[in-house]
Amino acid sequence: MTCDEARLLIGADPETLTAGLEEHLRGCPACSALRADMLRLNAALRRALAEPPRAAARRRAPPPAWRQWALAASVVLAVVAALGVWVLRPSDTLASEVVAHVQGEPQSWLATHNVSAGAIDHALKSSGIGLDVSSDKIVYAQSCWFRGHYVPHLVLETVHGPATVLLLRHEHVTALDHFHEAGMTGVIVPSGEGSIAVLERGGGRVDELAGELRQQVHWLPEPDDHPQSKDQP
Amino acid sequence: MRNSSPPSPVSSISERADARAAFTALFESLRPDLLRFAQWLARDRALAEDIVQEALLRAWRSRDALKDAGAARAWLLTIVRREHARLYERKRLELVSLDEAAEIPDSAPAAAADGELVMLRHAIMRLPLEYREPLVLQVLGGFSTEEIARELELTATAVLTRLFRARNKLRALCGMAAPGIATPGEPA
Repeated sequence: MTCDEARLLIGADPETLTAGLEEHLRGCPACSALRADMLRLNAALRRALAEPPRAAARRRAPPPAWRQWALAASVVLAVVAALGVWVLRPSDTLASEVVAHVQGEPQSWLATHNVSAGAIDHALKSSGIGLDVSSDKIVYAQSCWFRGHYVPHLVLETVHGPATVLLLRHEHVTALDHFHEAGMTGVIVPSGEGSIAVLERGGGRVDELAGELRQQVHWLPEPDDHPQSKDQP
Repeated sequence: MRNSSPPSPVSSISERADARAAFTALFESLRPDLLRFAQWLARDRALAEDIVQEALLRAWRSRDALKDAGAARAWLLTIVRREHARLYERKRLELVSLDEAAEIPDSAPAAAADGELVMLRHAIMRLPLEYREPLVLQVLGGFSTEEIARELELTATAVLTRLFRARNKLRALCGMAAPGIATPGEPA
């Protein structure tokens, strides 16, 4: 059992200990620590759910007009400040955020079944992207919220194992950006108006795949109506 | 011609009355559990009471389907969940706004441990239904992954993923850092 598989099981059901997980935990202090942490969270969850929520019975009275204006002004200031931080952020955080995003979807590495053509189409078209890759190589296709936009998150089955691909229409890089983080090897390459991130676990051949994808990705006009999700922050 | 004599109408009525009384007592004893479960799903007490009322009515009509009193809790929780889903489907929107659903803090200042619990309860309320529902089924209802998968008509892997994300979202909402694992917040 890999750490990704163990983390998925621990996060989903920390109190269930299968034989495979138990064996993995004996040799993995990080996953053991995670399980201890998740067990504490579960105990707290039981206490939290033991009583019904105390929901408010009625809406509060609307605040006075001056407070609404003050609130609006503070929101504008906050947006300006956030935009400033957003524009001025260092570009080398992009690789870290790509890695963090992929770490947050550990089950994506475990996918083995081909994704339906409709699901692939949805993930790509949501971001206005065309891709000349045979659908039988794609085992994971989602439209993920990343840095303020929906981006296709794909896992391709290659001869060297699974490779994760994020198609980042809104992230511009001027040169190849290689990184090695959290057991993943990756590269972000410029492509059209955006960039492509390719990650593999262990020592992969990301440059080769990234080079192929640069030929296979087509940046189409961006759709006006982006998909909405309950998870959108 | 039958050799055995027909059952006495008096004893038959009496048995039925006993069975009805037993069901009533069983339902009433489980009612607080059902209400708590419905409240965590619907995030509104009045709505939860309606859901439980309707669910108990449905359960009463099909009480013959319950063969084992020991399975009553899980059976009734399932009916409550379906009733909530039916209502949710009818409305096609979040039934209660987060402002309304936000917990009222106690007037007395909470101790640090209580504060963490309040924060966690508030975080559960903020979880999207697709994550809150399997989590409440698992932790409060005691359902296994396979049972949740059957109930929600999902694969076991999909349930594991939702539960995994639910806990990580709770961690993120409560500002807890997870060792060696990122806190996903993005849909997939």
